[in-house]
Amino acid sequence: MKRQPLDLDLDSTAERELLERRAQRVRERPQDAVEESVLWVAEFPVGEETYAIPLEMLRAAVPLKMVTPVPLSPPHVIGILRFQGQILSALSLASILGGRGWREDPAVLLVVDPGFGRLVALDCERIPKTASYPHPLVAEARARAQSAVIELTVPGMRQVNLLDLRRLMDRRNVGDVRHA
Amino acid sequence: MLDPLMEQLLAGFVDEAQEIAGRLTDQLIELEKGSDRRAQVFDGLARGLHTLKGSAATLGLDALADFAHRMEDVALPLRDSQAPLPPQVADALLRTLDVWMAHLRAVNAKLDPPALEASHELLARAKSAPHSSPAPQNPAAPQNAPGQQDPSPAQSPPSPRGALAGDGARLLVGELVTSPSAVLAPDAPNRRRRLEDRGPEESPQSLPAGEEQAWRVTTRQVVSLLHEVERLREVRLHLEERRREIERALQQLDRLGLKADNAEARAVLFSTRRSLTADGEEAADIVASMEDGLKAISTMPVRTVLEPLRRAVRDLTQKQGKLVKLSVVGAEVSLDRRVLEALRAPLVHLVRNAVDHGLETPEVREGRGKHREGALTIRVEQQGNMLFIEVGDDGNGLDVQRIKEAAMRRGLASEAEFTAMSISQIHQIIFRPGFSTRTEVTDISGRGVGLDVVRNEIQGLNGQVEVQSTPGQGTRFILTLPAELGSSPVLVVRCGEHQLGIPMAAVESSRRTTTVDVRVGRSRLQLRHREELLPLQDFGALMGLRQPEVPFEGQPILILHSQGKRLALSVDEVMGDKELVIRPLPAEVRDMPAYQGAATLARGELVLIVRADWVVNQDRSGESVTATRRALVVDDSLTARALHRTALEAGGYQVHTASNGRQALEQLRHAAYDVLVCDIGMEEMDGFQLTSAVRQRSETDSMPVILVSARDSAADRQHGTEVGADGFLSKKDCVAGRLLAEVASVITRRKGSAA
Repeated sequence: MKRQPLDLDLDSTAERELLERRAQRVRERPQDAVEESVLWVAEFPVGEETYAIPLEMLRAAVPLKMVTPVPLSPPHVIGILRFQGQILSALSLASILGGRGWREDPAVLLVVDPGFGRLVALDCERIPKTASYPHPLVAEARARAQSAVIELTVPGMRQVNLLDLRRLMDRRNVGDVRHA
Repeated sequence: MLDPLMEQLLAGFVDEAQEIAGRLTDQLIELEKGSDRRAQVFDGLARGLHTLKGSAATLGLDALADFAHRMEDVALPLRDSQAPLPPQVADALLRTLDVWMAHLRAVNAKLDPPALEASHELLARAKSAPHSSPAPQNPAAPQNAPGQQDPSPAQSPPSPRGALAGDGARLLVGELVTSPSAVLAPDAPNRRRRLEDRGPEESPQSLPAGEEQAWRVTTRQVVSLLHEVERLREVRLHLEERRREIERALQQLDRLGLKADNAEARAVLFSTRRSLTADGEEAADIVASMEDGLKAISTMPVRTVLEPLRRAVRDLTQKQGKLVKLSVVGAEVSLDRRVLEALRAPLVHLVRNAVDHGLETPEVREGRGKHREGALTIRVEQQGNMLFIEVGDDGNGLDVQRIKEAAMRRGLASEAEFTAMSISQIHQIIFRPGFSTRTEVTDISGRGVGLDVVRNEIQGLNGQVEVQSTPGQGTRFILTLPAELGSSPVLVVRCGEHQLGIPMAAVESSRRTTTVDVRVGRSRLQLRHREELLPLQDFGALMGLRQPEVPFEGQPILILHSQGKRLALSVDEVMGDKELVIRPLPAEVRDMPAYQGAATLARGELVLIVRADWVVNQDRSGESVTATRRALVVDDSLTARALHRTALEAGGYQVHTASNGRQALEQLRHAAYDVLVCDIGMEEMDGFQLTSAVRQRSETDSMPVILVSARDSAADRQHGTEVGADGFLSKKDCVAGRLLAEVASVITRRKGSAA
């Protein structure tokens, strides 16, 4: 359907100017003004809890298939897989977090970039949903956080654990995270 | 007549020598003009001449090796002079360098090489001439030595380097020769003739008859193409995955029964499955072909560099009255051509050094209680994207006192500096420019040019050199450098559901088990193999996949050797040997000592490559049987197995896993477990069927079994009890951390009922 321009019969120059000023304000609002004030995340369940990772770190969600187990590896290593020509480690997020299980067998691997120049795949029960949290809330929780798991109470009084992937993937921390 | 390998090496050496000659020309000219970095340029000149000499000797070109030695005799004594290189010396060296190259090219082209006697005379005159910088000769005047034969342009074809100068380049070439080194040297004193004066048949664009045209391609471009091939392999994997999905859809339709209303859908799916199978096979062929082509372009076997060293060792040992056996391990590995080309000279240096300095004469060795024949070993191994080359001998070892004396004699370090140095730091002095323990110059060593060349060349490849030495026992030089390209022969075997690779270099032989040859001791297994008793290990047990099993009649056994140890290794199946590109493992598992890396098989699946030295050092014969409780986890979900393993290992259990019921029964046939944790919803054989099968076997009829289900239904619990399960957990229970408690509970209950 072709859109027709509004044919407004504006009486006065003042009204025109008012509308023009409003339009200008809208035009001037930065496109990313909303994005600046919130953190976009990918939310997913691990067991009975909800976890989230910054969306900018998520590179892909791929089916949990064609993973080659690595005998003798630490328990949190599910195996290795090929992704876009690279060999990545697939890690059990529940195991890293010190969890004991999940409600459904993970069927998805989240390929994430923790920020040190290599990708890692983490298992996940289902494809994550996107959500956004207010930046001040995240900043305040980050300041309080003692570990790689940042506890948040997001609007709607939902409890979410935001993961600091860089910290979580640090070898010194893997296996030591015990989130209550 | 040269054999094909030597011909290939000679052709490669012509290119290498051409580049060195180009650099030498530049250096001679710079020294003639009076360089403000004289010492550095002289070092470069010395290295270049030494490399030409060493490489020519390695290829059996004794006349050229001797010629290069005479050039060294002229040039190197002037190292300490502060005056510019006398023009007559520079001129003589440049001329003889051109003759040297012309000779080499003629040998390569199977033509009569120019005579060298006149050049010898020229060098002798230059050597005896006063070095007081007489007035420069007229560069326009031809300076042919008496009897000097002009190598014709046909004998010294212009190289691609000359062609790169461009159409309009007004380059000048010497009258004596038309070597590219002279063409490319901007200030060559003997240049005269303009390029455009040459006949059309001498055009730099024209390639010599019979020489194939070539493109210049950067390594990055080749590596990038290899990565694209990797991606194409993933596409091939996706095709396979699609085919499996169609297979599953067809199975579901089968369960619905043959009906008219789904007949057309079945026909379409059958046809698509057939097409996908054909497409997948074609894609695999294309991937394999592309990879082979790229490998042929970018890599070559290490033996092409190592085999000629045998000749060099033979010639040197004959000359010095020594007996040396050269052993090469890993020659079949293929590596990046550039790396190998660059390694040629350092390896020559190290081998010549070992024979000259390291290994003793037979009489001395006998006196020291050693075998008359010295051992010189070169070992090559690629681990992921790192290349390790070890050149070791069982000779004198480094003599710290002689190193100190030589270093002080040459002013490389003072007495005070030595007192602050560790032995290892003193060893490092041998890599300093100008260092030599020889007091007189021979045609092999003594000029102080050698190990600094090795270090520089390896550092130029972003690598490093390490030296380890024990007095009286020998010396090992270990070169470590990155090598992104390369492939290695690997034997792929199966253990349970796992495919694993073992480097072929470590596989001595394979055989079938004959039970009469297997000796079962109290704590170890041994195999009688060719009148020898070898330790026998179960590969699956070594990899932590199962309890050790005694091989059955006919089971494949590999005889491995590494680091002087031999071992018989039983595997479930030998899949075959393949030439694979071994890639490094990701950081999370890279430090695991068991693995060298991972490679991709033709269908796209990854296979882990196990380190042979790790395998032969896993001697478990002395291990006592521990009282650790053992659990077998059966689940078709990788991630579920990982999580159950985490929980149970935290509770002190040794955990083995199986991905299906059939495999679990196989493991239970060979070993006893304290508890079986089994998923219900598995394909082929579900948890109920597995539990029934377990209860029907006398060895396992009282083993505690816990069933785990995604659904917490009363019907499942009831069904589980009916088939003989001791416990039942939902995934929700596992989330709540009840697995360990339930395991403890069922074990206690079983024990109680047994009592």
